[in-house]
This record gives sequence, C-alpha cells and structure tokens, in this order.
Amino acid sequence: MSLTAGCGSLQSSATEVGGERMTDDRPVRDGGTLTVALNADPDKLDPTLAQTLVGRTVFAGMCEKLYDTDADGRIVPQLATARPEVSADGRTVTFDVRKDATFSDGSKLDADAVVTSLLRHRDLAGSARATELAPLKSARATGPYSVKLTLKQAYVPLTAVLADRAGMVMSPAALKKYGKNFTNHPSCVGPFKFAERVGGDRIVLTKDAHYYDADAVHLDKVVYKPIPDGSVRLANLRSGDVQVGDQMGPVDVKSALTDGKLQLFNSPSLGYQGIGINVGNVKGLGAKPGTIDSPLARDVRVREAFDLAIDRDLINKVVFQGMYEPACGPVSPESAIAPGARASQCPKRDVAAARKLLKQAGVKTPVRIELKTSTTPEWSRIGQVVQAMAKGAGFDVTLRPTEYATMLEETDAGQYQAFNSGWSGRLDPDGNIASFLQTRGAMNAYGYSDKKVDALIARGRTESDTGERAKIYDELARRVNDAHALIYLYRQKNYVVAGKDVAGLRVYGDGLIRVKDAGYAK
Amino acid sequence: MAKYVLTRVRQSLITLFLVSIVVFAGIRALPGDPALALAGEERSPEALAAIRSEYGLDDNIVIQYGRFIGHALQGDLGTSSRTGLPVADAIGEALPVTLELAALALLLAVVLGIGAGVVAAVRRGKPAEWIANALALLGLSIPTFWLGIVLVLAFAIAVPVFAASGYVPFGTDPVDNLRRMVLPAIVLGSGLAAVVMRQTRAAMLDSLSADYVRTARAKGLSRREVVGGHALRNSLVTVVTVLGLQLGHLISGAVVTEQIFVLPGFGKLTIDAVFTRDYATLQGVVLVTSFAYIFINLLVDVAYSVIDPRIRLGGAR
Repeated sequence: MSLTAGCGSLQSSATEVGGERMTDDRPVRDGGTLTVALNADPDKLDPTLAQTLVGRTVFAGMCEKLYDTDADGRIVPQLATARPEVSADGRTVTFDVRKDATFSDGSKLDADAVVTSLLRHRDLAGSARATELAPLKSARATGPYSVKLTLKQAYVPLTAVLADRAGMVMSPAALKKYGKNFTNHPSCVGPFKFAERVGGDRIVLTKDAHYYDADAVHLDKVVYKPIPDGSVRLANLRSGDVQVGDQMGPVDVKSALTDGKLQLFNSPSLGYQGIGINVGNVKGLGAKPGTIDSPLARDVRVREAFDLAIDRDLINKVVFQGMYEPACGPVSPESAIAPGARASQCPKRDVAAARKLLKQAGVKTPVRIELKTSTTPEWSRIGQVVQAMAKGAGFDVTLRPTEYATMLEETDAGQYQAFNSGWSGRLDPDGNIASFLQTRGAMNAYGYSDKKVDALIARGRTESDTGERAKIYDELARRVNDAHALIYLYRQKNYVVAGKDVAGLRVYGDGLIRVKDAGYAK
Repeated sequence: MAKYVLTRVRQSLITLFLVSIVVFAGIRALPGDPALALAGEERSPEALAAIRSEYGLDDNIVIQYGRFIGHALQGDLGTSSRTGLPVADAIGEALPVTLELAALALLLAVVLGIGAGVVAAVRRGKPAEWIANALALLGLSIPTFWLGIVLVLAFAIAVPVFAASGYVPFGTDPVDNLRRMVLPAIVLGSGLAAVVMRQTRAAMLDSLSADYVRTARAKGLSRREVVGGHALRNSLVTVVTVLGLQLGHLISGAVVTEQIFVLPGFGKLTIDAVFTRDYATLQGVVLVTSFAYIFINLLVDVAYSVIDPRIRLGGAR
C-alpha cells in the first residue's frame, strides 16, 4: 500500500484520485477548532451500544482502543503496550496496558478498567459487541496493568476485534456514575474529551489535558456536524463553514478537485457492496434454510449467468466515474491479513457464456428478477446499469427502490429475490465473512448454507499461522464465489475532502478520520 | 369572547387527543422494524431482543400507548432510541430554531407579500404589477432545494456575506445568528410571500372596486386613507386566513430548508427520526407539531374575531 504524504496540488486530479493519500505531515500550529462534517448523525456515544459507522469517527477522537490499525492496515498497540501473547492452544490471551494513561474524568487506566469494559461489552443487554466477544469466557487482572483473557476456543480475530469498539476502554468511575446514561457523558482515554452534544446538530470535543500524549495534540476543539447531503457538505467546505468533509461521493470529489482551497485524502475501504440473492431464506434470519422455487434460487447456473452478465468495470465507470474499485470477493486486497482478489482478477462480462448457462439450465427466458435497491441516487443508477446489462443475457430485472429500515426488515425476513447487500468491512477477514456466510449466521439474509464453508470459517478463526489462514480464506472465497449467492460488485474508497489549511489529518483503511495530530498548517 | 375562546380551546384539546392516537398508531404502521433500524450493521438476535425489551417494543400496542400518553402528560416524551438523549431536550433545542426560521420567513412573506400585493392592485396594468406578478410566479415555481443551493453558492461562497450552514442562538450572538438565518428565511419565505402577494392583490382589487371605497373617495379622503384605512383593512381578513393556512406549509417547508442549511430544527429532527424509526422522537415531534397547528388555528380564529366582530358573534350564538 503506497503512502503519499504532503500537500500536492489537487488540480492534477488524475494523479490525486488514482493514488492513495492517507496522511499529511506538514507542520501544524497549536490552537483552533476543526469542524468535521459527517454524512449522518451518530447514534449512542457508548462504545458498547454504538452501531453506526459514522459514530466510529467520533470515537476516533475521544476513545482510544487496546489496539489500532496503521496506514498499512496492520494491527498496532494503542492502549496495550504490545501485541497480545497467545497460549499454544489459543485459549489464553495476555497483554499489558499503558501505565501513563488517564481517562478524561481524571481516573487512571489500569487492568481492572480494561476487564470492566470488556465484560460490559460482552454482557450488557443490547450490546452491539456481544457477538464479537462471545468467545470470551473470562477476563481478569493479573497485575495492576496486566490482563489475562480466557477464551472458550481459540479465536484469532480477537486482536482485530480489540482494534475496534470492543477494544475501547471506558472509565469505570464514569460507568458507575452514569450507567446506561454513559452515552451522554462518555469518558475514555483520548486526545479529546466529550464536551457537549446537541442532537442532529453537533458533537463537541475539547482537548483533554489528561491525555498521555497531550503535548502532541494541537487543536483546542473538534466539532462533528452531521450534514447528510453530499452537495451541502461540499458547499460548506467551499464556504469554509466546515474544514473536513467525511465520506464524500465521487461526484462531489470531482467537483472539490476544481477548488484550489481544498485537498483530498483517500484510502481503500475494507468493505464491499454487492447483490445478495435469496437462495434459502424462507423463514427469516437465523432459521433453518429452506428451498425456494425460483430459477435464480434453485439453479447455481442461473446465478452464475447473472453474475457473468454484469460488467463491474462499467458500473465503476458509469456510476462512480472510475473512482471506486471493482470487487469480486468478501476480503479487500488491501487487507493485511489474507488479502483478497485484486480488481484486475475479477471475472469479465461474458454474455455468450451467460446465455449458454441459461440454456443449459433449461430455464424460460427472460428470467425475471426483482432487485431491491436502496433509495440512494447511486443505487438507483447501479440498478439501472445492472438492469440494462442483464437484459442482454436473458434476464428481466425489475427494480424496487426500498427505504433502508424497510429493506432490512424485508430482506432479513426473506421477502425478496435479490437486494443490494453491503458491509463497511473489518480488519480481520472473519469479520467480513462469518456473520454473512455461515449457516444461520447473524446476517446471513441469503439463506446460504454450505457445510464446507462453515468448517472453513471455523478453521479460519482458530488457525494462528498467517500463511495457513490466507489459504483458508482463499479457498473460502472461491467456494463462496462459486455459489453466487452474494455477487460482490465494488469496494468504496474513503474519500475525505479538507481545506488546504488543515494539516496532520490521517485517513486509514478503516475509513476513520484521525484528528489527534491535526491542526492548522503553520 | 371568553366563552368563544373556551369552546375553541375545548375543541382543540379533543382534537389533540385524537391526533395522539392517530400519530401513535400511524408511526407503528410504518414498515421497518425500529430495532433493526437501530441495530443497523451489528444486528444479532440477542441485540435485537435486548433493544426491543429496552424500549418496550415487545409490549402490546395499547400498553405502549398508555405508557406514552401517561408520560407525555407529565411532560416526559421519552428517550431517543438512537441517541439516548431525552426527546423533550431534543425538541426544546430544535423548537426555537424552527420557530425563529418560521417567524423570519413569515415576516419576510408579510412585508414583501402584502407590500407587493398592494402595489400590484393599486398600480393595476402598470409595469409595477407585471414585475410583482412575475416575482410571485418565480417564488411559487422555484424548487426550495435549488433556490437554497443557488443562494449558498452566491452569498456564502462567491460573495461570502452569509454563512452556508449552522445555527447560533440569537441571544448568544445576534449578528452571527442573522448571518446564518437570512438565507434560510428567504428560501422558506419566498413561496409564502408569493401566495400572500397574490391574495393581497386579489382582495385589494375587490375592495378597491367596492361601494364603500367609492363612498370614501366621494367623501374626499386622501388616496392613502382610502387604500390603507379602508381597502387594506378589509382585505386583511382574507390575507390572515391564507397566512393561517399557509403556516402549516411553512413548518413542513422548514424540513427541506433545514436540510439545506443544516439547521438543527424540527425538520431535521423529524427526518432523522423517520429514517431510524426512532418512535419516541417521532411521536414527540408530531405531537408538538400537532399542538402547534391546533394552537395556530385557534389563534387565527381568535384573530378573525378581533378583526371582524361579526365572526365572534356568529360563533357565540
């Protein structure tokens, strides 16, 4: 993964958009307020209960984790002092935590605080971290700064899990004082501390004097403002009312590049977007998969033909102006652990082969497919492009734009043929695979079930040898692709536009804007 | 007068009660499970069950309504399932923003609309009328979102006189407040100004050709007295009616305006609540909005009876 630092001119849009730019190392002066425009209002500011992607960006400013990811997608210690030591059977994990860290409420970080937080993440009713920490049998402090975790079985993705919200350590004093109302008084270890929240308008963080590396923090204040509309976000960047715009769409990025006062950061994302096909979800999520009597669900050749009818490059070009990456697997090629297939390795459109497959399957053409899509302009366009491409191969695709909450309900219940299925991505490949493709997985809305895949998922979780893991996920991805129950289409890129006077921002593959080193350029 | 007002208040309370039932049932009739919307990417059966239990979503709808109305009567509108913030606080923060926006838009609409309407009627057939009519047509036809973006591009980016977004309370910094509110007020008020202009013009034309105006002129009253004292005063009954009816549109129009200018008002709160199926916030917002509608209607009715006592007497008999 390349790393381009500095503040090159953004007028040369071709080179800037083509490459990656995750950091800006210009010297920064102290002081000032940075306003970051988010594309949605975050949900609860409680690491245990938080569910939105956008909320992670706010946490990045105020809640450090046991581990973090670096620019190369590797896991590095943050509040822990080193990578964890794992016993030979993989069931015991030990690590030490920093001795110099203090929570924003002034209390000290220690092993007990880590244990309290991990158990809360695992046990609190409604915890969004419960599933990923389910293998955690017990946690205890073996010294003032030493933690020992005992697992029910070997669980290799644990370190990656601890590099996300499950690894955020909350002040036990604040947890005791506020309980579930911690969300309105969050207290963690971080460069900034929570100051106020006005629902729908802003979340304000101020520099935390207790932070162990406070001298390296330049800004006085960071304000996060939800501005859902991309063009409004861009207008605010141009007017200078906000200095950083998160999750900018390709159209707005192109437009921003014409403004000499703005600069662009981008990093490849770990997630994916694709089309999920209902191959066995007859009774809803978590129920035993059944049989669906439609050509698409019944016959893998029909699904393969549908896959072959789609030109991923064309979708990227037409809908995203070539600014995203075509994708054909659950794991990003940028993943440091077992990277997936590169865009260039994705299958090309082959209408003749698709037609041949439909003929072999003996189905009546055109094969009718109803595709549920999000109500976003992007998915409306993708839907139209897919519709046009599939028509040539013998499919009649009807589009049904469906609002997000309704789509979740209907697809989880199995009331669909095909829908746009996407995932923001996780550092460990397991996070992009297990819940979706395991039989009865928590998000397996496709009703996909393959014993071999289940076994590979289980092996992938317990195999500590990186080379072996890579082989497992390679085989897994191939098997999943052969089933065509989830047709991967593209990977987004994390595009962040900022004023040129802002320096020190970091935007890594997890898509989070890191403001610790940010400030106004000297 | 007091009896008339009391009757109207009683009717309003009954309406509000009925509205609360419709709102409560209507929101639950929306497709989309709030627990799913809330859990988003991280949904597991256990998390969904815990969310449903925490917000009482697994209770019978009658029990849920009883709980909601019981708490609402005590001023507690519940807690937002999305942010965990009290709904009453969110409304308390959003309400002044929308009210200020609506008030400024109304002021703009009244001053511009009535002024242009009077001019158009008095200068009938002259260029002034054509200009006023053309402006009114523009005001009615331009899409709010487009006008908003154009104004931002022109007056916040090209010539940065006003701010593109955000809200600062008037009490904190009046100048900054106006810098942020003028553009949204223009966007929101332009449509209403056009409607008011057309109504004023039509009502004024009627009045100017009425017998009492002819009499007033025959008595030798000045043009200003005839137009201002007689024709306009009588035309205002129609204009006030229209304003009352249009106030609803003002509040609903604020939804789009607040999105464009990122104003943390009622509109934004509502949109966010709809998309996340945040029942508590949505109920609170709709209930307070209904209350506002009913209250405004009450005020308009009372205003009628002050302007034209025949209405009050008619209602009281």
